[in-house]
Amino acid sequence: MPPLDSLEILSRFILQTNWFSSSENRVKYAAFLPDKNGETSVFRTSGITNNEIWEIGDCEVSIKRGKPISGRADIGTNNVISKDLEVVPREPPLRHANIIGWPDERSKQKIIAIELASESFFHKR
Amino acid sequence: MSIPIPRTDCTSISIFSTIGFGSEFENLKRIYDKAIGEWRKAETLGRLDEVIFSIDELCRECSLEGWDGYEAPPIAEDACYEAKRFIRSLPVSFPMPEIVPEPNGGIGLEWSKGDRLIFVASVSGKNEIVYAGLFGMNKSHGTEYFGETLPTAIVENLKRLNF
Repeated sequence: MPPLDSLEILSRFILQTNWFSSSENRVKYAAFLPDKNGETSVFRTSGITNNEIWEIGDCEVSIKRGKPISGRADIGTNNVISKDLEVVPREPPLRHANIIGWPDERSKQKIIAIELASESFFHKR
Repeated sequence: MSIPIPRTDCTSISIFSTIGFGSEFENLKRIYDKAIGEWRKAETLGRLDEVIFSIDELCRECSLEGWDGYEAPPIAEDACYEAKRFIRSLPVSFPMPEIVPEPNGGIGLEWSKGDRLIFVASVSGKNEIVYAGLFGMNKSHGTEYFGETLPTAIVENLKRLNF
């Protein structure tokens, strides 16, 4: 994959049903909170079709994690970088990247995650 | 002897003052708890039982490591207990929140009133509430000690959602 461009779209696959609201068609903040390693796993999905994006979710996330994909949240790299976070490509798998650079303070993580969720576009599976 | 303390803050009516002692205080507290219990049973005043049930359910669902599909630690029993304590301490004038499991093993309580109008308070069994709120262009976040009643900062932030 080429170096990351700030205009690229990042997709966060959601496996947890209470991390989105079907009625409001929105993803919740918890979907963007970092894991215990301080990373939020995403895929670089600009320039590929909707079906191809779901295929990545199925093959690289769902099968490996043993849970079905419930949806995905798409967000611009720009939106992430503007929160003083970094997006670093981490392949394999192809197109994989991590959002890193989260502040240590949990309340700051939360407000950033809330903003990311509010700026993202949710796609229900 | 009793000293009446007038309350001007109606949203805090379900929060009984813990400053008091003696048999009169105990009697008053019992009457107060009973009245609030009856009040909460009314359908229009919230979904208390439903939310308590969904916290129990969530704690069962998220009791194993990796429940989120990404390596999240199990939700701790203390976090479940604290989430229920939070819900029971919530002033009756506020609606019940949505319950959100967090990847660090905590439980988030989320109130949303549309785009960029959202408040989240999280507990993880450590007697503290980590909160964050987005109120249009304004933001608020912090950590408060969770004693016997809900901290003022939480109540004040919830009021900003204009329920």
